[in-house]
Amino acid sequence: MKDILILGIETSCDETAASIVKNGRHILSNVINSQINIHREFGGVVPEVASRKHIENIAVVVDNAFQEAGLGYNDVDAIAVTNQPGLIGALLVGVSFAKGFAWALGRPLLAVNHLHGHIYANVLEHGDISFPAVCLVVSGGHTSLLYMKDINHYKVIGETRDDAAGEAFDKVARFLGLGYPGGPAIQKAAAQGTAGKMKLPRIFLDKNDFEFSFSGLKTAAMNAWKRIEKSRELEVTDLAAEFQQALVEVLVEKSLKAAKINRVESLLMAGGVAANEHLRFLMKEKADQENIKVYYPSLALCTDNAAMIAGVAYQQYITKSYAPLELNAHPGLLSL
Amino acid sequence: MLILAVDSSTPVAGAAVVDEDRVIIESFTNYKKTHSETLMPTINRILRECDCTIGDIDALAVTAGPGSFTGLRIGMAAVKGISMAAKKPVVAVSTLDTLAGNIAGSNALVAALLDARKNEVYCAFYDASGIRPERLREPMACAPETFLSEARALADYEHKDKIILLGDGYYRYSDYFNTELTNRLIPIPGHLMLPRAAAAGILAAHKARQGEFADVFQLRPWYIRLSEAEYRLGKGEV
Repeated sequence: MKDILILGIETSCDETAASIVKNGRHILSNVINSQINIHREFGGVVPEVASRKHIENIAVVVDNAFQEAGLGYNDVDAIAVTNQPGLIGALLVGVSFAKGFAWALGRPLLAVNHLHGHIYANVLEHGDISFPAVCLVVSGGHTSLLYMKDINHYKVIGETRDDAAGEAFDKVARFLGLGYPGGPAIQKAAAQGTAGKMKLPRIFLDKNDFEFSFSGLKTAAMNAWKRIEKSRELEVTDLAAEFQQALVEVLVEKSLKAAKINRVESLLMAGGVAANEHLRFLMKEKADQENIKVYYPSLALCTDNAAMIAGVAYQQYITKSYAPLELNAHPGLLSL
Repeated sequence: MLILAVDSSTPVAGAAVVDEDRVIIESFTNYKKTHSETLMPTINRILRECDCTIGDIDALAVTAGPGSFTGLRIGMAAVKGISMAAKKPVVAVSTLDTLAGNIAGSNALVAALLDARKNEVYCAFYDASGIRPERLREPMACAPETFLSEARALADYEHKDKIILLGDGYYRYSDYFNTELTNRLIPIPGHLMLPRAAAAGILAAHKARQGEFADVFQLRPWYIRLSEAEYRLGKGEV
């Protein structure tokens, strides 16, 4: 069978990314232009600034993806693009570019849900995942548990009622003056501190469901800091360590419970927060005790990238689920 | 030389194919529907209707600003994608120049102004006595009052008695401008008041003849304004 080459384009937040993936599995190129240093001075992603960087960078990033793969534009069979969820102005740059590029090449356009991409990043690196599985999608915008019949079919069995885990990381990091982005900042500070010197709540809600809530933990951490900052009884690193520990414990416990109740042997993690080393370590340690196999993408594929977009779109190409030229971008999640 | 021109810089979505100074087909839509949904289907339709494929087109034109930040990026991103895939050069045209291109052979001072929200307009002034508008001042974003005093001063300086105002910035503040300018103002019919992709295409054909092509790897919209966040950080000009 002929090899299928798909160009993926991703501009949903603050990375302009393009990648070419063969047959949904083999990454031929993976170009990412990160804006982290630009947004750091604002203390978070500024949508208009992100959109401006995307329109500046998109042509260069896509061209680099072809050069890195040693291919010409005409060699690709389809163009895949993230059209939801994300920052609307940012998404529109990728979607508009992809539509023009696909149309002028005479190739089909494939619309990809960013979160499907994150989940699929696992398959790009691990060919041996046994399904059904449970997947923890955990990022700046989402904290959800999915039951996955296979890589293309799943349903949401639980999600956060308020803040996403990554959002809590960002807000607490900013409050503690640790910088941006919050996940890596807290992880770094936590490595210098000791969890348990003070106690933050583990918010499990109803023990028997798979819902999350992080706003209470966030507020508790902020209140603790107001106290500690004056009394100096503890270091900010100790608070960071305890905050990370409290958040990770809840994620691990709920995910394992979901895996056990649904009798699955595989537990997947996806999204930017899945890059957190403590989460990776604790999830693996606890899952080993239950004989459940844990999968997560390498750090490069945990954060936003276009390889996951080009990869997950392969199935849509095979089933001819093409997007029309009317394709629009959607900030919210239409469906997971 | 066949040019495919695209404009999504204001609430109007436009696309046209022009051959030098001849308009072959034009689509103009001033109706609430997102440019993201309508622009590519419109381009696809007009090319089909004039029996063209993208391969027949010699160059692309895009209105690069000023205008709605998101609207500018929708048009420019699509044009960048088409340009790369079809290997066609791009000409970037000012939205304000495009508006001024609706008037020719007039001795009035022509001002193009777009609603920039926050009680400001994006504006530029032109001498439209020839076939193509000649820009007299660099475009700027300013309050309608500032715009008006500039317009008066410039008209006096250029010995122009009459003033023509074009663009949705006029509609936004029409009562104020009408009251202030009274019979100095020449009213213009509606079909000439908003940016036309055909006008962008004809201006682009001229630029193309001069070899003024944009580099798609470098091209970015002419926003005139910084983002809000950059203003708050105390950054300078764009």
